[in-house]
Amino acid sequence: MQQLLDGFATALTPTHLLFAAIGVLLGTAIGVLPGIGPAMAVALLLPITYGMEPTGAFIMFAGIYYGGMFGGSTTSILLNTPGESAAVVTAIEGNPMARKGRGPQALAAAAIGHFTGGIIGTILIVLLAPFVAKHAVDIGAPDFFAIMVLAFIAVTSVLGSSRIRGVASLLIGLTIGLVGLDQLTGQQRLTFGSLHLADGIDVVVVAVALFAVGEALWVAAHLRRKAFEPIPVGRPWLSRSDLKRTWKPWLRGPVIGFPFGAIPAGGAEIPTFLSYVTEKRLSKHKDEFGKGAIEGVAGPESTASASAAGTLVTMLTLGLPTTAVAAVMLAAFQQYGIQPGPLLFQRESELVWALIASLFIGLTLLLVLNLPLAPLWAKLLRIPRPYLYAGILFFASVGAYAVQADVFDLLVMFVIGLLGLGMRRYGLPVLPAIIGVILGPSAELQMRRALQLSDGSLTGLVNTPFSIVVYVIILMILLFPLIKRVAGRKTPPTPLPEPEKVDA
Amino acid sequence: MQVKTWLAVAGALLAVLLVPPLLTPGADSGSTTQVRSLRVLVPNAPGGGYDITARTAAKAMEDAGLLRNTEVFNLPGAGGTVGLGRTVSERGNGKLVMSMGLGVVGSVYTNKSPSSLLDTTPIAKLIEEPDIVVVGKDSPYKTLGDLVTAWKANPGAVPVGGGSSPGGPDHLAAMLTAKAAGLTPKTVNYIPFDGGGELLASVLGGKVAFGVSGVGEYRDQIQAGTLRVLAVTGGKRIDGIDAPTLSESGVDVEFTNWRGVVAPPGISTADRDKLVDLFTALHKTPQWEEALRRNGWTDAFAPGEQFGSFLEEENKRVATVLKDLGLA
Amino acid sequence: MNTWLKERSELGMCLVLAALGVLVLTDTLRMSTDFAQRGPVGPKAVPLVVGGLLLVVAVLLARDVLRGGRGEAEGGEDIDLAAPADWRTVLLLCGAFLANAALIGVVGFPISGAILFWGAAYALGSRNLVRDPLIAAGMSVLTFLIFNNLLGVPLPGGPLMEVF
Repeated sequence: MQQLLDGFATALTPTHLLFAAIGVLLGTAIGVLPGIGPAMAVALLLPITYGMEPTGAFIMFAGIYYGGMFGGSTTSILLNTPGESAAVVTAIEGNPMARKGRGPQALAAAAIGHFTGGIIGTILIVLLAPFVAKHAVDIGAPDFFAIMVLAFIAVTSVLGSSRIRGVASLLIGLTIGLVGLDQLTGQQRLTFGSLHLADGIDVVVVAVALFAVGEALWVAAHLRRKAFEPIPVGRPWLSRSDLKRTWKPWLRGPVIGFPFGAIPAGGAEIPTFLSYVTEKRLSKHKDEFGKGAIEGVAGPESTASASAAGTLVTMLTLGLPTTAVAAVMLAAFQQYGIQPGPLLFQRESELVWALIASLFIGLTLLLVLNLPLAPLWAKLLRIPRPYLYAGILFFASVGAYAVQADVFDLLVMFVIGLLGLGMRRYGLPVLPAIIGVILGPSAELQMRRALQLSDGSLTGLVNTPFSIVVYVIILMILLFPLIKRVAGRKTPPTPLPEPEKVDA
Repeated sequence: MQVKTWLAVAGALLAVLLVPPLLTPGADSGSTTQVRSLRVLVPNAPGGGYDITARTAAKAMEDAGLLRNTEVFNLPGAGGTVGLGRTVSERGNGKLVMSMGLGVVGSVYTNKSPSSLLDTTPIAKLIEEPDIVVVGKDSPYKTLGDLVTAWKANPGAVPVGGGSSPGGPDHLAAMLTAKAAGLTPKTVNYIPFDGGGELLASVLGGKVAFGVSGVGEYRDQIQAGTLRVLAVTGGKRIDGIDAPTLSESGVDVEFTNWRGVVAPPGISTADRDKLVDLFTALHKTPQWEEALRRNGWTDAFAPGEQFGSFLEEENKRVATVLKDLGLA
Repeated sequence: MNTWLKERSELGMCLVLAALGVLVLTDTLRMSTDFAQRGPVGPKAVPLVVGGLLLVVAVLLARDVLRGGRGEAEGGEDIDLAAPADWRTVLLLCGAFLANAALIGVVGFPISGAILFWGAAYALGSRNLVRDPLIAAGMSVLTFLIFNNLLGVPLPGGPLMEVF
């Protein structure tokens, strides 16, 4: 505790506060740019910190990191173009909210969610770092795979009104996820010999293509050509009923996000999706989901931020980068001759605690700077529709092109965008496709890795206590409706005439 | 109205045509012996190994006054072969180099890349990093001998983890070690992880029997005693790590992961000499020495021709291993 | 016959799904088997399952459509489903997008990006011939400067880059 206070003393000097503020602003500004996620933001800004002393540099990084993540959510909400993979889920509810004139509320829910998730996550770093360091490495391939199975079960709740069309969409996503070199054997799959496809198609590209490009084309086909009516900008702040609906999702986020961030290969995509599904299940406003339910923004954003905090635990205590951003930060540490790992807390304790203290400060600055900006940002949507959609297409194209300077990426985006148009026309929900792209490759990888570790024995999938627990939970979820029926209570009025089982 | 439209279009056209070039510092075309501007292509994402090498070298060159203007840019994809393709297509461009390493050699085969490193003009090998054979502290294997005995008895039950995909440095190191120990590479149960970090977790958690990876990310864990190094794969022991080389332990093979720079094919001899001289000069600067020390890299400088023949040998060696595995 | 098909145009989606399925299956079956596979599940298993399921779903969806099921087209604030589909606008928009892709390498990003923006705005009904090109040029040049000059993410600058 004393060390943390010392950390605050270091981080609260005017210079360091200034660094943190610059970091947050730069991070948000760059995170808003298309195609540049937090990892790239940190990497691109790395040169600025050359010649700075390490403490100041890392305080600035923490600001850039959180700012970059928040910038990604901003475009997700306003333009339906997620800036990074952790913000993909946010677009699902955030963008409809913005379209209804509830943009400021969506942005505020995201900003406060970010703040809450980050603060709780950082508190957990302080309290749990040694514990996490010890147990994070116990989670292995079978455990991951069990979680993936659980996630696939959860997909059933986002399939939409027509199951068969939902499953079709999921399969389209899984197909896109197959593209690229097989990670375990290096065999080419659906690459058609093209080097451009060897790394697969990035989930952000798929999300932007399906969400933004697909939507722009669909709007073009049925543009409402009535007198132009700007999107109303309603009251700027969260109302009492909004707060009532969001405080629980904000607090639940870290429960899902933090552990995922802390375990190797956890990342933010899967926990944000799980958070979304959880909030949908628990919400009293289920009918609003898909049309702009504020819980669907608050929960995933808090989860994403807490997962980022979890990432830092494993990086600092084990020297283990679990996400691309962490890998870049690790490289930055090494530039200063500092090796994160089990000895870091002893050797560089002053720096570490200053960094942790600056996380608190960075998050607070992020909230303070961005909350007042939310209504201003939301005014962006008042521009005329032709400019709005032209801007979205422009933005999406720059994002796809800038990263690799390759026209091929634009064509991939176009083709997937056309697919998105077709899916909208024929009532195939877009969300399952994205989930397929996220879950498919990692589920396959973890399953095959588990089987390889056990040298082909199927027991390799269920040989850890954790995985067994997860499978028991899955069984309970699957059997629950049955038990309910057998118990003779009134049968739930959910007639589902579709005969297919959804266990893709 | 009409006039206004034309004015607007003309203004727009002028803006898009003139503003970017006017506000961008131009590439100069002086013909002095000194290289004044250089573009460095990095074939993986910002923060990756080739990226750090390139940016560190560029900075050292600028600090030492060897170059005025370097631009490092990333063109990631397909294990570096997308960047390689671009380099090869820039035939004759004497102001471009690509940062690369052993990983790209393997990727050429696994990605079935149409362009090969042998097409490029080798400029210099810069650094190398030996791999280590490493186990968790609770592992039953105390020496490399223990491990090899168990490995030979039942290769399938001894899963090997590596931080690179098939064809990458860790994969090659594991396979070369297996071959030298008398195992058929095809029987090796190699499990690729996404970088040394993710592998580290599996080694610490005892999920894989042992790991093969670069020493960089592991130093701290080794010092803390949570990891045990059974052998280093290079020809020499590593300072600060108490482990024999593979050859000393009776497995006769030497392997290091290295990084260097190549230039596009077909550049003039003068351009090539300028570039080789530039990197030779870089090698002698105190800034570069300092960078080596800070990043824990081993100096392995080899200029032009020397690097070229080294590259050819490595290419052959990689091809042989990958052919055994059905990957090339 | 024509109206029959028109009412069941969703069958086209079934065709797309079936085609995807066939594509995945043929690609998988063409994969060489001469590689070091460990474990019972190789690189072919998952694609085979996905490809197979795509075919199954294509058939089931076709059955659903023939029995009268219809996918519900997505609504939205800016979408008027009562109006017939306006494919001309869609084509214009695709044209603007593809023009950017085709021209970016030839004339540089500032020009191709401006064409994309102006073209898209024009397609969507904006006819302000003074404001539109200026906004498009401004957006494009600003983006170029932020990416190329501030962040060091190179974008092609155009034919005059080497002149100055």
